[in-house]
Amino acid sequence: MNSILTKFNWFGLAGGATTILLIVVSLVSPWWQLTVGDDLVKVAASPVNMNMGFLGTSFTIPFIWALNMVSILTLLASGIAMLVYSVIPRKSYSKHLLGFGYKKPLFTVLFFVIGLVATTMICQAILNFNVPLMGSTTSTLPIPFVSGITLTVLLSAGFQWTFGLAIVAAGLCIAARLYHGKVAAVPSV
Amino acid sequence: MDKVRLLLTLITIAIVVVPIVGMVLAYQGNLLGLFIPPEINEIADDLTGGDGDNGSGLEAPTMVGEPTYDEATRTFSVSFQYKNTFHLDITIKSLTGNIECDEHRFPLGNASLSKPVSIDAGETGTLTVLGTWTEEAIDHFENMHAGEEMVDVVLVDFAVDISGIQLQMDQGQMEQSMQVPNPAP
Repeated sequence: MNSILTKFNWFGLAGGATTILLIVVSLVSPWWQLTVGDDLVKVAASPVNMNMGFLGTSFTIPFIWALNMVSILTLLASGIAMLVYSVIPRKSYSKHLLGFGYKKPLFTVLFFVIGLVATTMICQAILNFNVPLMGSTTSTLPIPFVSGITLTVLLSAGFQWTFGLAIVAAGLCIAARLYHGKVAAVPSV
Repeated sequence: MDKVRLLLTLITIAIVVVPIVGMVLAYQGNLLGLFIPPEINEIADDLTGGDGDNGSGLEAPTMVGEPTYDEATRTFSVSFQYKNTFHLDITIKSLTGNIECDEHRFPLGNASLSKPVSIDAGETGTLTVLGTWTEEAIDHFENMHAGEEMVDVVLVDFAVDISGIQLQMDQGQMEQSMQVPNPAP
């Protein structure tokens, strides 16, 4: 029983599988979503897929699409590395695979949150326009070159279940790193 | 072992560099397009340079049918047609404003939308606006517009809620002209 527990790094297996699952679900379900009015403006954001909609027209910014590709490939490489490491945790190169894979989901989550917070702060500082990270708020939008018209909009934003899955994936990968000591300590038969 | 480390480092660099450099190369003739997709220009064109009556993509409402007046409640009803030029369905949830005599700029009362109206993308919907005259308005019609069957009035200072976006026009910013039956002909 003990040998089965230490033969593989189960946290790594779960972390790698969850990371790959995260890529798939993030392509269709965002980590964070913002709606303005009754879906007049919609922002569906995740490191894997960023989509914006304005008055019924959906679009993606090419540079952000390239960053999405970076995230997809990073998470995919991390997931594969974690899976390979987890089934052969005692090989000489396994620690390199673990080191390569376990931090990437955590950094992806951190960069995403930092990016979101920075974007909302920039909106507040430059445009004087309050974008909530979670919940709803009413904001008054500046209309460039037009005076005498006040545009007030209801903004609703929130993190989606996929963001929770990303945190789980990051947590499992970190747990795999911590569990590695137990797996590696058992001498290979 | 060093080969594995080197391979993983190369993979990390390639993962970051290839998509970004590839995209920059794809847009090397139009670097602005990296950040502003063509859809943004189409939206801007729709809003500012479309086929609308006022030179923009937004259509101005047009008055349709005969206005009606109920003497008992001092309420009139006017219908407008509005074409939704956007690519999505909209709901005009509310519309309120003040009514003034077009000729004398005398405040006559207020008006509001009878009920919310949903208009599908590209379709035309009918908005019914109900207005109530004040006592002073009736006096104004009697004294200043005696003998006139229809009187030109304007809807001013109006606020409109379109699918959760509220537009409030400040005084004198925008007017909607209409003809209403004279309550004291």
